[in-house]
Amino acid sequence: MPEDHDKDVYPEPPRQTPMVDKQTALPNPALILSKLFYYSVDLPVTKFRGVIEGIQGEKKSHYYHQKFRRVPELTECQEGDYLCYYEAEMQWRRDYKVDQEIVKVIQERLRACQQREGPSYRQNCAKELQQFDQVSKSFQLRYGDLGAYASSRKCLMKQKERMMAEAQKA
Amino acid sequence: MVGMSVLRSAAAFTARLNPLKRHQLSTNLLSRTVARTEQVAVRHGSHGKRMFIIKPTDFYDRRFLHLLKYYILLTGIPVAALVTFVNVFIGEAELAEIPEGYEPEHWEYYKHPITRWISRTFYDSPVKDYEKMMALIHIETGKAEMRQTQVEVRKHMREKGDGPWFHVKTLDKNLIDHSPKSSPDN
Repeated sequence: MPEDHDKDVYPEPPRQTPMVDKQTALPNPALILSKLFYYSVDLPVTKFRGVIEGIQGEKKSHYYHQKFRRVPELTECQEGDYLCYYEAEMQWRRDYKVDQEIVKVIQERLRACQQREGPSYRQNCAKELQQFDQVSKSFQLRYGDLGAYASSRKCLMKQKERMMAEAQKA
Repeated sequence: MVGMSVLRSAAAFTARLNPLKRHQLSTNLLSRTVARTEQVAVRHGSHGKRMFIIKPTDFYDRRFLHLLKYYILLTGIPVAALVTFVNVFIGEAELAEIPEGYEPEHWEYYKHPITRWISRTFYDSPVKDYEKMMALIHIETGKAEMRQTQVEVRKHMREKGDGPWFHVKTLDKNLIDHSPKSSPDN
């Protein structure tokens, strides 16, 4: 299998799987099925992967995550400075993608938590629920109905509307 | 007519007698008698009698499917073989931290070797694309600016009239006849 991500950078939450408390003498079908799956699918696939990696050799090429410098945002641009607008727009688009991925990660955590806890997820996953609630609400506030042709300018106008509504309410 | 029917009945009689030797009249094939076959357990040494099964033509359908398979596999198999060999013998890249003081090439930001090759051979780096777009924007900004100033300058020159534009051609002042003006009380 290819190497997993760095566990120190993206730590997984501690496992909350309960201890096995077997009270019958009958065999556990889930265990049987999982062992079956392991021996029929998992082990051959892993062995095959090992063979292929043996063929490939040790010299591996690397790929990196690109790091982008921060540039002045749309609010810090002079009026009519289209170059500044373009750079701010590109930065905003990258940030939009990053925010989408953040929401996906939080969703994934909530989903995993629900799967783990089963029927009692509403109490046990309170933290994940609250986190997801907060993140999705703020995402909706900032990027909510911008649509397919979203741009940094439209987002800024949305923020302006929000601030005006807040000022009116106060 | 009567002779014909006698002959026909004689032929039928002989057919019934000896089913193996039937002398068919070529004109009257429709009225021939069928050999009466008794129910006998027969063991064939072959696959039975070869039948000519009458059904609508499947020539066009089979030809279409054959050609479809042929043209799909013509490029499909080389592409599949290529991708398999690349995945088996070259393998995908591994994620690594960017080493200190090292600027990765633009293709080193992709994982799959074919994507890396395409990015290296055919595409400009995204940085270059960004800069190209910025250059275009810069040129267009210059053009817009120049057009704006031109319009403003036109307005001013038309108003004030002392600029190089909007000259109205007047006659040459040497052509003016000053002679009637030299004696005022004419």
